[in-house]
Amino acid sequence: MDGGFETFLLVLEDFRVGPAIFNVLFLLAVFVPLMIITVLSVSLLLDSVHFKYDRATRLVFLIPGLIPVAVAVLFWSSVVGYDVVWDKSNIRWMIGAISFSTGIGSWIIIQHGSLRSISQEVLEAGVVDGCNRFQLAWRLKLPMISRYVAYMVILLIVGALQIFNEPNLLMYSNMTTDWSPSQIAFTYAFKNADFAGGVALSLIMLIPNVILALLFVLNSDFMKKSKNSWN
Amino acid sequence: MELGSQRRNSRLIKVTLLIMTFWASIPVFWILRDVGRMIFAPIIYFDNGIFFTWLKNTSIFVGSALSISVICCITAGFVLAVLDVPFRRFLLFATLVTMLIPITAMAMPLYVMIDGIGLNDTLLGLILASSFFPFGALLSYLYYTSVLPPDLVGMGRIDGLGDFGIYRYLGIPLSKSLISVVTFFCFVSLWNSYHLPRILLVEPSKSIMSIGIEAFYGQGTTLIAIIMVIPSVLLYLASQKTIARGIFSGAVKE
Repeated sequence: MDGGFETFLLVLEDFRVGPAIFNVLFLLAVFVPLMIITVLSVSLLLDSVHFKYDRATRLVFLIPGLIPVAVAVLFWSSVVGYDVVWDKSNIRWMIGAISFSTGIGSWIIIQHGSLRSISQEVLEAGVVDGCNRFQLAWRLKLPMISRYVAYMVILLIVGALQIFNEPNLLMYSNMTTDWSPSQIAFTYAFKNADFAGGVALSLIMLIPNVILALLFVLNSDFMKKSKNSWN
Repeated sequence: MELGSQRRNSRLIKVTLLIMTFWASIPVFWILRDVGRMIFAPIIYFDNGIFFTWLKNTSIFVGSALSISVICCITAGFVLAVLDVPFRRFLLFATLVTMLIPITAMAMPLYVMIDGIGLNDTLLGLILASSFFPFGALLSYLYYTSVLPPDLVGMGRIDGLGDFGIYRYLGIPLSKSLISVVTFFCFVSLWNSYHLPRILLVEPSKSIMSIGIEAFYGQGTTLIAIIMVIPSVLLYLASQKTIARGIFSGAVKE
């Protein structure tokens, strides 16, 4: 293919694209909400009490994300095992679990940091007004870190849409070569030497991302310049 | 005076003791070194010690790319959050979109560009191609929007600071925890970076660790995995205190 408009149509007619998009939608429906809930609850819980092993906890959450890609292949292959090859419905959960455990750690650190920065006076005022811990988290802390939460939500969604590493890790043991749209784009560009096809698919995948980004930017105060924090 | 000389003497004694202890424990160190060599043998002696070349390349690559991207991220975040630049909204949106483009779509154009200026299969080319970190730029932007309220910038202006002065005397001193967060995440992404180096670096002697470790499959894999994770963990532990102090702790009190 040399590019041109028909490339887009040809790519969309590929028999692998449909299942790949379905896989990604599955991740979006199940694992992204799970990740958001876990990250927020862990960081809010860590913030609400004076926990002695707070450092170690965050490190434990972080470590799976620190393993370099090339080694992670062996690591996750041995965790997932070679016997789920024939059960394709299983593999979806496995890839979701991998992206879950590698993805939450860094966001817990970021949200923990953003929570720690809420000024103590505001929280004390909340306590004086009779908030218990849950109300403090729900009514005060969450609204105050909403920008960071919005940033996290959009990046998690985008990460799920262009998921590449996790299925690629299980490529040899579980035959997930063309599991996600990004992988198919990669196959086009670097295995079939059809760069136009790869880019066409990438651009198609970019459309939902840009729409999401626009929604996020227009519906939040993300674009606002620096403002006085007490307003 | 008496006290001072006594303290100096006791320090001298301690140093002498340390030196003598070290001297006495040289045989133990010798054995430890041999034990270390035995444990790390599959790595150290692999292909005439190519591991150390990879280690050197990785440190050059990560060191330079890290410093370039952290400086760029923090400056860009500051400028977008505080100053009146033309096309501010467009620039922000462009940064966001850059992050949304899959690496697959990005890799080939980058390869063509790097190849075009003749830096293919060199560390310099890899450094240039990897020295951008939109995630960090947006994080710095979020940070500065909450840490540098207009009041504070206005005070700086009244005191006669220009744009650069505000960056130098307000932006940088306030950004300790930001720098540690951005450095940590940038380091991890560079240290583990796989796609770009895989495409850009061909010769084994110019390779870096995150790719080179593929050579160790089957022999010493766990060992190399642990070695690869250690720097990130150490950096996390080191930057932990500043991160925990709050990503955005305000400068102005009501």
